[in-house]
Amino acid sequence: MGRKPPPIDNRVRAFREREGISQAALGEAIGVTRQTVIAIEQGRYSPSLESAFRISRVFGVGVEDIFVWTEAPGGAPRLK
Amino acid sequence: MSFRIKSALAMAVVMAATGTFYLFSVVEASRAIGHTAPPAVAVAYVLAVIVVSIIVQTALALIWPRDANARADERERAMQTTAGNWAGWVLSVGAVGALGHYWVNGDGNMLFHLVLASLIVAQTAEYASQIFLDRTRL
Repeated sequence: MGRKPPPIDNRVRAFREREGISQAALGEAIGVTRQTVIAIEQGRYSPSLESAFRISRVFGVGVEDIFVWTEAPGGAPRLK
Repeated sequence: MSFRIKSALAMAVVMAATGTFYLFSVVEASRAIGHTAPPAVAVAYVLAVIVVSIIVQTALALIWPRDANARADERERAMQTTAGNWAGWVLSVGAVGALGHYWVNGDGNMLFHLVLASLIVAQTAEYASQIFLDRTRL
């Protein structure tokens, strides 16, 4: 509660609709419920790295084609 | 609504209803004897919770057998963890309050009822938290 949401946007819905896949089918394919797919598409939940990779594999694209870091460059300190 | 949220909603109603039954049982029994009712009053409550919970969970599993047997996914596990953490705080506050009440009043029967009430409220809060987290950002 009160925690800032992560600056991650996603195009899961766009890819899913382009491929003609239902939310339930996508959930089945990556091992989550339909409600979790809905939450991901609505930006209410950021999936784990594994689930993000599974989603990108379903659509045959890279993870960063679907998930986008929205914070402006320079927001996080670079490690030396 | 996922199966787990349906289950949480059903159990929240069960806990609230049986908790209310427990509250009225303790109040009525205490009024009848003129002081705080002994812990034996909780026996009926415990039996009620067990029986009603079994009936409700069995009904849900019969209606949605596939979902009932499915493992919780990553989001559901995270919701359960967070909800459990919040419920722990509710239980802690209730238990400490019960201990404080005992320290001041020395009523052992009331200590028992307050701790049990804290358990009931905490469990209800856990179910309600899961429902809340399902609807909002996790």
